[in-house]
Amino acid sequence: MKKQDKYLVTYCEILLTSTITTILVVAFLIVEKEMLLGAIIGLGILGFFIAKGRGIPHKIDQVYREHPCVFYLTIVSPVIIAIVFCRHEHFALFMIASVAIYATACLGLTLQLGYTGLTNFAGAAFLGVGGYTVAVLTNQSIPNVLVILLGGLMAAIIGSLLILPVLRTRGHYAALVTIAFALLFKTFLEINDTLGGPQGLKIASFKFFGLDFNEPLLGSSFYLSYVIAALLLMLVVFIITRLIEKSWLGLHLDAVRLDETVASCFGINIAAWKILAFTLGNFFIGLAGGLYAQMLGHIAPTNFTFADSLILISIVILGGIGNPLGVIPASFLIIVLPEKLQFIQEYRFLLFSILVILVLVYRPEGLLKRGLRSFYRTWGRERKLEN
Amino acid sequence: MGALMNRILLIMLSLGVFLFGCSSNETDLVKIAFIGPLTGGVSANGIGGRNSADLAIKLANADTSKKYQYELVVLDDECKPNIGIQVATKAAADSKIFGAVAHYCSAVAVGTVDVFHKFALPMIVWGAVLPEITYGNDYPEIHRVNGTMINQNDVAARFMIDQGYRNWAIIHDTTDYGKGHDKYFTESIEKYGGKVLGRFGVTADQQDFNAELTKIKALKPEVLYFGGITPIGVRVRTQMDRLNIPALFQGTSGIISDAYIEGTGNLSEGTLAFREGDSAERLPGGKMFLTKYKEMEYSSPPEAYGPFAFAAANLIIRAVEAVGPDRKKITKFLNQIKDHNSVIGKISFDDNGQNMVPLITKFVVQDGKWVIWEASDYQSGQRQLSR
Repeated sequence: MKKQDKYLVTYCEILLTSTITTILVVAFLIVEKEMLLGAIIGLGILGFFIAKGRGIPHKIDQVYREHPCVFYLTIVSPVIIAIVFCRHEHFALFMIASVAIYATACLGLTLQLGYTGLTNFAGAAFLGVGGYTVAVLTNQSIPNVLVILLGGLMAAIIGSLLILPVLRTRGHYAALVTIAFALLFKTFLEINDTLGGPQGLKIASFKFFGLDFNEPLLGSSFYLSYVIAALLLMLVVFIITRLIEKSWLGLHLDAVRLDETVASCFGINIAAWKILAFTLGNFFIGLAGGLYAQMLGHIAPTNFTFADSLILISIVILGGIGNPLGVIPASFLIIVLPEKLQFIQEYRFLLFSILVILVLVYRPEGLLKRGLRSFYRTWGRERKLEN
Repeated sequence: MGALMNRILLIMLSLGVFLFGCSSNETDLVKIAFIGPLTGGVSANGIGGRNSADLAIKLANADTSKKYQYELVVLDDECKPNIGIQVATKAAADSKIFGAVAHYCSAVAVGTVDVFHKFALPMIVWGAVLPEITYGNDYPEIHRVNGTMINQNDVAARFMIDQGYRNWAIIHDTTDYGKGHDKYFTESIEKYGGKVLGRFGVTADQQDFNAELTKIKALKPEVLYFGGITPIGVRVRTQMDRLNIPALFQGTSGIISDAYIEGTGNLSEGTLAFREGDSAERLPGGKMFLTKYKEMEYSSPPEAYGPFAFAAANLIIRAVEAVGPDRKKITKFLNQIKDHNSVIGKISFDDNGQNMVPLITKFVVQDGKWVIWEASDYQSGQRQLSR
């Protein structure tokens, strides 16, 4: 086979895989019957093994590392088709948007925890900072896109209050600082009447150049516009995170995580890199929180408890610490699975926890393990493609 | 490649068959959603409400004169606004669901009313007491069978003034429940000529109330009004005794539970509290409800708000029987409900969908039991409330 043909076959395989995955995911979201759900999960597992047998995960990984544009195209196009296909399915769209928003927030955490090794147990609090900023500012007359950016900015600014204690402490102690902040944030919201107190705040609908996001877009669901916005936000944040990882910035962050002493011996300014990762991560989380608040239309302190921060952390761990790609299937699992288990009612969290533990037992490094950094291109090498 | 394509084609085909087969032909099946907290801190109330709604559905299905078969779709809102909005969207987007019996937690209900309105799904609140849920909007879809805290506190204030009390100190928790009670009780008590000497907000998980109680002791109130739920109620009552505060202890619907009496022992004697609705034992329908509930052998009791969930589910069933499965018609039918007999007394909705016949029952603890005031020794003058 000619080399050119080989590339083409690989692309087709990847496109096919992502198409089938998208179909399964959408079917999983729409279908309600327990039997059918089981069938879809079965098909998914079967598909996974077929794909594994053909070495597709490896090929995807290669394309992901070395041909990002091709990768994004092959992933994004089936998703767009899927969204057009289920544009009337309010609930499926709502769930897709929620997953995208949580994934965005977790990309921020990946930057902090995965790359730099800063444990942030206040993820939900920063989500809340973004949300509350949006809630307060939307009711003023400020353009909405700007408001979401301000939400991110506000999260970064409030996060900078924590910089000093986070820099002065290490490991568990730094984690404690963020836990304290998470608890403090919720109590603050509850006793603060100007921010709505425990009842929370109502948020006016999102407007984008005269397009009201809460009105049905082109005769389809209310949530279609939010899905598009959330997926776009996720894509942008993903690309930025990925670029950071690949560049010398990511190299520095990795060095700080792996060994601070060695890194500083090589002239790396530990504090500066930690501040960068922490602030940028919080900025991403704040953006996600802003959009989430817009979509929900109502936020309250109980959305942003310590338990929600733990959910964010568990998404990052489940996805594979430090792999931005892993965050997406992991947030899908963590957000959608409890929802799909509604039929077992009060026992659902029990089963859900067991499932998460099982995943961690059989894939202790998460769904998608972060690969080793490759400093040269392997694409097209016969040895690799034959795997 | 060919083999793979074949396999994939097969998978997609089988999936298609599955999806096609699932579109069933149960034309006369009507689904009703139940939304409440099945997991988390207040899950006991949620499960009690769920069982009661389930009982209503089972009784309707056993009744051969009913035109439709009913199915209860149970959704867990975890007492969190974001999850509440998620499950409300799920219920509302399901075209086979024609009514919802929804929400115990006020903060959740305030957030979801927009969703129900957007999708025109008629809903009846079965437990949340915040006035804004019905009075904060003019959505025709929103109804409530239980009273609001305005009614509860108005009756409480009038009653206490009639008993000759004039001075109050207030402890409330900082949830919407506690804060609302503080606000509306103060309004009513000042209207009738009473005085609030001091008010203290405490967080819902606070353990030690000595600081607040010492200040209260210096104020010398005749009554200590407590707005909150059982766990803190028990702590406040016992610590009040340790500081020898002689004031009468007056609670809200939140402490009417056996757990309060178990927690405080002899100290509970003479505690007053008020709850919406007549006591289930005193109504003929209520007796029927309690015996049927026992017959079904549910693993947990209906709790205080179970009868409301039962009444709400029955109301929706009645609407479906009268006008058929059509959301708009059901909404219209519900808005015209006047003097409808139910297990919680007569139900009449006002223009905001609020039940206008807010029967408030007064309770007092006598010999380790919650006794209706009118049937107690305190009413007949054999015992005296502390002064």
